[in-house]
Amino acid sequence: MSSEPPASSIFPRTDWAGLGKAADADEARLDGLIRLYWAPLRIFLVATFPSLKDQAEVLLQEFAEDKILKEGWLRRADRSRGKFRDFLKTSLRHFVLDRLNRAEVRHAPVSLDELEQELPGPPGPSEEFDLTWIRAVLTETLRRMEADCRDPAEDQPRRSFIWEMFRIRLIDPVLNDSPQTPYEELIERFSLKSPTDASNMLLSGKRMFKAHLAKVIKEYAEQDAATAAEIKALEDFVSHLAKRS
Amino acid sequence: MSEFDSAAALSKSPPKSLAAFLAAGAERARLWRPEELSAIFRHQMSSPILVDLGGFDPATASRLKVLGEAQSLLLKSFSDLFHHPVPPLELLSLTKDFAKANMDHPESSLPEEVAAVLYYASIATALVRLNARISQLKDAELQRGLLWAKDQPWVDEQTKEIFVQALKKILPDAPAKGSPQ
Repeated sequence: MSSEPPASSIFPRTDWAGLGKAADADEARLDGLIRLYWAPLRIFLVATFPSLKDQAEVLLQEFAEDKILKEGWLRRADRSRGKFRDFLKTSLRHFVLDRLNRAEVRHAPVSLDELEQELPGPPGPSEEFDLTWIRAVLTETLRRMEADCRDPAEDQPRRSFIWEMFRIRLIDPVLNDSPQTPYEELIERFSLKSPTDASNMLLSGKRMFKAHLAKVIKEYAEQDAATAAEIKALEDFVSHLAKRS
Repeated sequence: MSEFDSAAALSKSPPKSLAAFLAAGAERARLWRPEELSAIFRHQMSSPILVDLGGFDPATASRLKVLGEAQSLLLKSFSDLFHHPVPPLELLSLTKDFAKANMDHPESSLPEEVAAVLYYASIATALVRLNARISQLKDAELQRGLLWAKDQPWVDEQTKEIFVQALKKILPDAPAKGSPQ
């Protein structure tokens, strides 16, 4: 594993005030966020406590019920430091340590004050957590984009074509290593009238992707400025990892 | 039903692919690959003129329709326009403006190279078929552009011939060979 600082440190700060309000007002929304980012939390838990692999699901369930969904959990966080994801990691780590302590395995009890501390954590699990987080963000973005494009209430089949074009041109070749579909086939498949028509369809797909990505991120980053910074941070993070690999 | 399982694809994707995907998804990223220019240019030449030029204001769009159907010319595509013995000058001029707008726009929906060939083809056609100049370009600049367009491997022979003839018109003594620097 790299000796560089945890990559999570490049992520922007979260709007705690907004999240605090959300915790009070909208438990269902918070519950949705937990479900969405279950995979990165699980990876972080298993990487940090490998011996608890078999109990990971149960622990996460308890963590969600006992901590995250408990009223005021977010308000206890020190809003002057950290980000939503870092706070999640720290809270989870403390939660598990507390459970282990209760089981009299090791570690002293963890106080609420300590819960508010930003634990540095080993770079490995943290980096793996952030990478899985990005995958979860992108998966949700593409899921919503596809649903949006296939919405029968919208302009069909044009909108479905936008999704298909985006998938054929960007998703499949880049993420699935599929060969590029010849341009002539695109003309036929989407009844394209001109190259401008083709480009506009592809550009529409990119714009929809961008809009959905911003929406998914805004659900935890809250403010527009933080969302924009988070998108940039996601790009920088994966590009940093890509250069290293 | 979707043919694509985004969760499965993303769970396997290494950071390099994720970085490439985010970069390709950016609006500023190039839409088409260089090896696709030939197919795109063929598509452009066979595209209905009204589809692309119809984006002008309603009065111009209406004028285009009239021009395209004038004197039973029935100019449907850009290829029809460039290869007609007496194409309407106004239509060539509008095509040049459309191409220029695409060349100058950073987020153009046409590949810059295709827009540039369309631009020089409009000028060359006006020069060759109507003996008219529809551009303010100086001879040296025009020559550079025509030579460049003529040398593009993805341009069809018939269109290349217009560039060759235009080069002879502006520089009757110069050989129509070579590439611009």
